[in-house]
Amino acid sequence: MTVESVQITLPFSRLASGAREVTSLYRELREPLLRYLVCLGLSKDEAQDVVQDTFLSLYRHLTAGGAQNNIRGWLFRVAHNQARNRQGSYHRRFAEPLDPHFVPMLDESTPERMVLEKEKLHRLAKAIATLTDSERECLLLRAAGLRYREIGEALGMATSTVGDTVERAIRKISEKLDV
Amino acid sequence: MCKYSTTLIAWLDRELEPEQMAEMEQHLRECGECRVNIAKYERASQIFDDYCKAVMTAEPDRVRRGWMPLLSAAAAILVLVAATAVLLRTRVHPLPPSPTAIVQPAQSPLVPEPATPPANVMRPRRARAKPVRTQAGNWLLLPPQPAVEVAIPADSMFPPGAVPEGVNFIADVNFAPDGSARQMRLRPRLTAIERSAPQP
Repeated sequence: MTVESVQITLPFSRLASGAREVTSLYRELREPLLRYLVCLGLSKDEAQDVVQDTFLSLYRHLTAGGAQNNIRGWLFRVAHNQARNRQGSYHRRFAEPLDPHFVPMLDESTPERMVLEKEKLHRLAKAIATLTDSERECLLLRAAGLRYREIGEALGMATSTVGDTVERAIRKISEKLDV
Repeated sequence: MCKYSTTLIAWLDRELEPEQMAEMEQHLRECGECRVNIAKYERASQIFDDYCKAVMTAEPDRVRRGWMPLLSAAAAILVLVAATAVLLRTRVHPLPPSPTAIVQPAQSPLVPEPATPPANVMRPRRARAKPVRTQAGNWLLLPPQPAVEVAIPADSMFPPGAVPEGVNFIADVNFAPDGSARQMRLRPRLTAIERSAPQP
């Protein structure tokens, strides 16, 4: 058998700067991405797979000299599409009532407050169930800290449409919750 | 209904143009109805955000309550047992061949000769084979030495400073008989990358 060392030339500077960018975006957006995917209905394991794949795609995108404007919107779009491809494996729906035992915001509440919060949680689940898919997705991305422009990029919608959709969704929830 | 009521949430999200933001702030000082609505929307947004966090926090527990941990533990044990069995089988064959086995080929000429590999296929001679489990679940006997080593500079994969100077990486690549890459292993190397002369 012949064992050889083959030296290959790589575009060092471009790869290194791409890696730096990916690392800082990963630190910033890993948690919001995971939360978005879990809220879409993926299990946490699946969500972690999708996040890994998404950042791998980002690395390829940047090293191939892809567009860098609205990169947060781009990341969420890639993750969103991958989640949609796994839609068959969605194991729960976002609007399914949560088991109050596992809800952390109830942990330090007084018993009276807990009854109130449980009731509110139940009503919120019902309110969320009345939202359309795009209304729910807009609100989830808004909760992840994205600007309307970035939400538009992620969901393939015009920025003005995002504004109208967020407005409609928040009004619905506010009316149903009667807060 | 107030004409500003449709831009309240955009104002809350700081999505209006600067002059519209200022106009809205002026209006909110004067309009009690809009102030009430802003407070409602802010509360609704907060509750929704909390709900998202709650879904995330509740998620691992939902998974862990099922049978999955038991199943994956069982699978891990099975894999370990299988790995041990294969390792033992590849090493423990100390039984001397019986005389009948040696005589056997001469007595039965119909037994086909073991197929010899085609001369043009890259097939390394193995000193000691190492069992590896493929994704398809088959056990493969891979050569202990790679067919090709690819040297990769550390700064092509990591930002400067992330890896100590002088450390680079070598990718060992093995090929399947059909010529496709079968296995790749990345390992660090402590010297500068240099082209080494091919061994005979």
